[in-house]
Amino acid sequence: MSSTESSPVRDLPMAQNAPTPVEPPASSESNPIHDAITEAISEHKVLLFMKGTPEAPACGFSARTVAILEALDTPFAAVDILPDPRIRQELSAISNWPTIPQLFANGELLGGCDIVTEMYESGELAEALA
Amino acid sequence: MPSPEHIKQRIEASIAGAHAEVEDTTGGGDHFRATVTAPAFEGRSRIEQHRLVYEVFGPEIGGAIHALSLKTQTPLKTPQ
Repeated sequence: MSSTESSPVRDLPMAQNAPTPVEPPASSESNPIHDAITEAISEHKVLLFMKGTPEAPACGFSARTVAILEALDTPFAAVDILPDPRIRQELSAISNWPTIPQLFANGELLGGCDIVTEMYESGELAEALA
Repeated sequence: MPSPEHIKQRIEASIAGAHAEVEDTTGGGDHFRATVTAPAFEGRSRIEQHRLVYEVFGPEIGGAIHALSLKTQTPLKTPQ
């Protein structure tokens, strides 16, 4: 199983590769999780923020979204938001979207489970992921 | 604990002209499904339409309301 394929999960908290000369300011502005999320969004053509992993989704909505991506044979990266509550907080602040899962394609939020399902059923999703 | 009726009333009170049908999908008072019809959705993307509804509840989404599954639509136009 290609669990490394979907490993921005593990990389996320560590993705701050620019060496910081001093301790980052304590202000909430400098925020490695925020930066790692925006980086992951721009680096992966199709990126799913979900509860659990594609192999073991921890929520029905995440499971359904994974199933749809698999039905379309779409390669995608996945981030499990559960290990650190800050991931969800930062993600929702960035995307202005309160719920999980969140599917991004080409750097844009496509939607959550409801919208992804509707787009799948209407055929728009395949187009948006192309 | 929010009830479907409570969710419905809040959506209809906050979005002008909205009509909402809400069901409690698990019976537990925290997972809901809503179909919302509103003229305010006209000209907006699905994402923006859903955001309008989520904004009614703010931090309650993911809090007291674990899940609010949405379907949004604009009212049917009467044929000329």
